[in-house]
Amino acid sequence: MEAIWLYQFRLIVIGDSTVGKSCLIRRFTEGRFAQVSDPTVGVDFFSRLVEIEPGKRIKLQIWDTAGQERFRCRSITRAYYRNSVGGLLLFDITNRRSFQNVHDWLEEARSHVQPHSIVFLLVGHKCDLEAQRQVTRQEAEKLAGAYGMRYVETSARDAINVEHAFTELTRDIFALVRSGDITIQEGWEGVKSGFVPNVVHSSEEVTKSDRRCLC
Amino acid sequence: MATESRSNFWRRSAKVPGRLLPVYGCSLCRSSLSLCRSHKDTSKVNSLKAKKASSFHEFAHSTNDAWDLDDEEDEEPLRGPAPSATPPDVSVQTEGPRCDPEPSRRLQPGPDARRFQENKQHLNGKVGRSMSDARVSSSSAHTTTVQKQRALPVRPIIPLVARISDQNASGPPMAVRDKSRLDKFRLLLASPSTDLEELRKHSWSGIPREVRPITWRLLSGYLPTNRGRRELVLQRKREEYFAFIEQYYQSRTEEHYRDTHRQIHIDIPRTNPLIPLFQQPLVQEVFERILFIWAIRHPASGYVQGINDLVTPFFVVFLSEFVTEDVENFEMSALPLQTQRSIEADTFWCMSKLLDGIQDNYTFAQPGIQNKVKALEELVSRIDEDIHGHLLRCEVEYLQFAFRWMNNLLMRELPRCTIRLWDTYQAEAEGFSHFHLYVCAAFLLEWRKQILSTGDFQGLLMLLQNLPTIHWGNEEVGLLLAEAYRLKYMFADAPSHYRR
Repeated sequence: MEAIWLYQFRLIVIGDSTVGKSCLIRRFTEGRFAQVSDPTVGVDFFSRLVEIEPGKRIKLQIWDTAGQERFRCRSITRAYYRNSVGGLLLFDITNRRSFQNVHDWLEEARSHVQPHSIVFLLVGHKCDLEAQRQVTRQEAEKLAGAYGMRYVETSARDAINVEHAFTELTRDIFALVRSGDITIQEGWEGVKSGFVPNVVHSSEEVTKSDRRCLC
Repeated sequence: MATESRSNFWRRSAKVPGRLLPVYGCSLCRSSLSLCRSHKDTSKVNSLKAKKASSFHEFAHSTNDAWDLDDEEDEEPLRGPAPSATPPDVSVQTEGPRCDPEPSRRLQPGPDARRFQENKQHLNGKVGRSMSDARVSSSSAHTTTVQKQRALPVRPIIPLVARISDQNASGPPMAVRDKSRLDKFRLLLASPSTDLEELRKHSWSGIPREVRPITWRLLSGYLPTNRGRRELVLQRKREEYFAFIEQYYQSRTEEHYRDTHRQIHIDIPRTNPLIPLFQQPLVQEVFERILFIWAIRHPASGYVQGINDLVTPFFVVFLSEFVTEDVENFEMSALPLQTQRSIEADTFWCMSKLLDGIQDNYTFAQPGIQNKVKALEELVSRIDEDIHGHLLRCEVEYLQFAFRWMNNLLMRELPRCTIRLWDTYQAEAEGFSHFHLYVCAAFLLEWRKQILSTGDFQGLLMLLQNLPTIHWGNEEVGLLLAEAYRLKYMFADAPSHYRR
C-alpha cells in the first residue's frame, strides 16, 4: 500500500563526476554509505518520503545523473531537467574545479528547464575532509547568494546534513507551491498532487493551494 | 520446436503488425492506476497511450538542438533520425535483420555444462547503518522528524565481472562432453584455415575457457583465419599499438586532451572497484593507456563513461591465458613484460573491433542508443503487448531503464556472466549491435510477472533499475540467450521493427 503524501516532488541531482552525487542520495534513501560505487550511467531513480511538518509528508522522486561532461549536453539528462521542480547542485569541497563548474551546471540546467524553473540548493559535499578543503565556506555562500540559492555542506560518509539538505529544499519548494508560485501542471512531472485521505486532509492552506493549482 | 513457435507467432502476430494497441483496463491495471496516484482527470488516462507513443520522438526532437552546439567532433556528421553513423567497415556487413541459416541447430544452446562455482555473493558487505544525522538534529533548531515510511530495497554494489573465476579461470574437472567439445574447438583452431562459420556455430553456446582467448581473437576479426599468418599479424598489431602509445600517449597532458584524460583517470579506479586485480596500479595504467588511445583515435565519440567497462572482459580473458589460479587476486607484475604488453595490445584491438560496431552508441547525442531503445520498445510492443501497455500506462519510458542496458551492454545487469554472454555476441554476426536487442527484449520479458504485478511508476522503475540478477550465472544467461534467439527467429523478419 502506498504511503500517504501531500505532494510528490521530482528532484534532480547534478554536478561533476566523483563529487559524490550517488553517495549522497544513497545515504539519504538507503541510510548507508558505500565506500565504492560504479560511475552512474544515464539516470538512476531513487525515492523517499520526507515529513516536513508533523503529518505533512512529501514524496521525493530523485534522479541521479551521470557527471561526465560529455553526457551532459549530449542527450539523456536534459529530458529530466524539464520535469524537475528542484535540484541539488553538488561540488566537492576538496576539488576546486568542481566548484568552478557550478556556473556551467546552472547554465546547462536553466537552458533546458524552460518554461519551468528549478529551485536549486548548492551543496558542498565531502565536508568530512576538512583538511583537504579547497573551497571556503564563505566563497561558496557568496556564490550561492549570487544565484539566489541556499548553501549547505554535507558528508555522506559521516551523515552530516544529509537529511537537512533534502528537507530544506523540500520545504522551500513546498512553500512556493503553497504560495502559488509553483503550480501543478498537466504534462509536467515536477509537482504532483498526492494521495491524501480525509484524516490528513485537514490543513486549510493545502485545500486552498490544491484548488489554485488545478485552475 | 521451431515450427511450433513459428505457428504460435503467426497466430499471434496476425493481429499485431501496424495495429494500434487498444487502451483497455484490465482489473490489474485499474487497481494499479488507483495505486499509482489519484488521477482526478480520467481523460488523462485515456490520452496516455497517445501521448507516450510519441515520447521518444519528443525526446529526439528535444535533443535535436544538441546538433547546433559548436562541437569540434564533426568529422562524422550525424544528423536526423536515421543516422548512418556506423563506420564504413561495419556497414559492409549484412543489411537488415538476417535470418539464421541453421536455426534448429542453434535453438538449443544448452546451459553451459561447466558448473560455475558456488555463488559466493560478494555484495557490498559493509552496510554501515546510518549514523542518523546526529549532528543535524542536535544543531538544527527545528528538529526534523523524517521517517522511512517503508523499507526501500537496499541496492547492492555489484562488482563488474564479479567472480571472474566463475566464468573463466578455474572450475571443476571437465566432463566427458566438455572434453569432446574442447577437442572440436582444438581441431578447428589447428586447421590451416579456420572455418569461421563453423567456429561461430560451436561458440554460440559458450566457448571452453582453454580456447577462449584465441577464439575471441578470431571471432572479433583481430586474428586472420589463416593459421600461418597469425603470428605475424599479432606481432605487427602489437607493435602498432605500442607505436600509438609512443606517439600519442604523452599528449594526455595537452590542453586539448586534458579533459578526456581526466575523465578516464577518475573512472578507472571506479571500474570493478571490489576486485583486487583492478586496484593494482599496473593494471590501472593498462586501462588508462587503452582508453586514452582509443578515445583520441575516435574523436567522434571520444571517451564516454561505460566504455571503461567494456575493456574488462577482454582484459580478463587474455590475462587468463597466463593465469591458472585466482584471476581476481593475480599480481599482474608477476608476468614477463612482453606478456603484459601482448595482453594490453590484444585487449586494445579487440575492444576497438567491438566498438567499431557500436560507435554510434557513443557519438554526439548517442544516436545509436536512442535508436536501439526505440527499436526495443517497438519489438516489445509486438512480442508482449501486455507488458508494453502496462509500462505505458504507468508512464515508464524505455529510455529510463534501457539506456544503461545499451550503454554498458548489460554488463551492470549481468556482472557474473558477461564473458559467457560475449561468447555468444561474438559468435553472432552482429552480436553487440543487433542480437543484443533481442537479448534485451528477452531480459525484460524475463521479469514479466514482477512487472505486471507492480502497478506504479516508482515501483516499476525501482524494479527495472535494480533487477535481482546478482546470482545469475552462466546457466541463467544460457537460457536468456536461447530465448533471445527464439525472439530473433520469430521477429527479425517481421516488417520494419528495426530500421537502420
